[in-house]
Amino acid sequence: MNKLVSFLFFIVSITNFSSDSNQFIARQGQISFFSYTSVENIEAVNNQVLSIFDLDKKEIAISMLMRAFVFKKDLMYEHFNESYVESDIYPKATFEGKIIDFDKKSEQPQTKIIRGTLTIHGVSKNIDIKTTIKKEKNKYVFTGDFTAAVDDFQIKIPPILSSNIAKIISIKFRFQYEPYEQ
Amino acid sequence: MKNKFYTYLLLFLIGLILVGGYIFIKNTFKSSEKNLEKESALVSLNSDDLVTSFFNDETKSNKRYTGKIIEVTGFVKEISYLNNRITLILSSNTNSYGVICDVNSSQKEKINKLKKNQKILVKGICKGFLKDVILQNCYIDTLTNE
Repeated sequence: MNKLVSFLFFIVSITNFSSDSNQFIARQGQISFFSYTSVENIEAVNNQVLSIFDLDKKEIAISMLMRAFVFKKDLMYEHFNESYVESDIYPKATFEGKIIDFDKKSEQPQTKIIRGTLTIHGVSKNIDIKTTIKKEKNKYVFTGDFTAAVDDFQIKIPPILSSNIAKIISIKFRFQYEPYEQ
Repeated sequence: MKNKFYTYLLLFLIGLILVGGYIFIKNTFKSSEKNLEKESALVSLNSDDLVTSFFNDETKSNKRYTGKIIEVTGFVKEISYLNNRITLILSSNTNSYGVICDVNSSQKEKINKLKKNQKILVKGICKGFLKDVILQNCYIDTLTNE
């Protein structure tokens, strides 16, 4: 009897353990942003965004290096990193959030809201992001887009350049998650 | 005589403006994907040391490596073509940490010949550390004598 109890306990602890590590990772998440004004269009892509998706907790965490955004022009890259987001002081931007009403059993694509906190330039802001989640075999693909206001993150743009940079920046993302073996 | 002097001065000034303008335009509009092939790296080290350095002290390592051209030797763990990029991951001895190299498209043929666990040399611009050290605009070199 004792043996049976300990065996059951063992089984339970194993299943607990395996469900604890039900995590997925994207090392090459893609985030791009666009600023459209009548003067100039600026776009930048970061192809090395890190994200971890916890299937059981329905949570995701994202971290990216501001310096990993690639611009068409060197000067845009310099302005962005040195003057606007101040990458020396704030090298990373992060997002942490919970997927609302996520159905982890569904094999169909589902569109859900991720409610969380976005931190850019050392300033955190609560935000809801709509995302489409597709399951492909044992992979998950998250895609979507949203907007962010430059002012919300205390990013100062000199008046002389304010007509070159949009007040609202549109952001697109794509994350392809694979099982995470630690 | 004086007139001639002014003509030369004027020509000289015009020349100066043209050269200055050319340099300004070249710097302003040059592409950020510059060719690193002929540039020499600031430091050369192996992937284990690079990852360990960032793992132990990220701030110090950022000062030392971030924004600089560095040369890393390591073993090929994975090659991926996600999002139409060529990405090479070098393994390290620190658990699941590694070096992610975003490879310059000119290196495509060299990439095709690579095998898993092959020892290679990668030169690129260090961008910092997340779970892996990130290098961009990478050029690769296969090490022949090993």
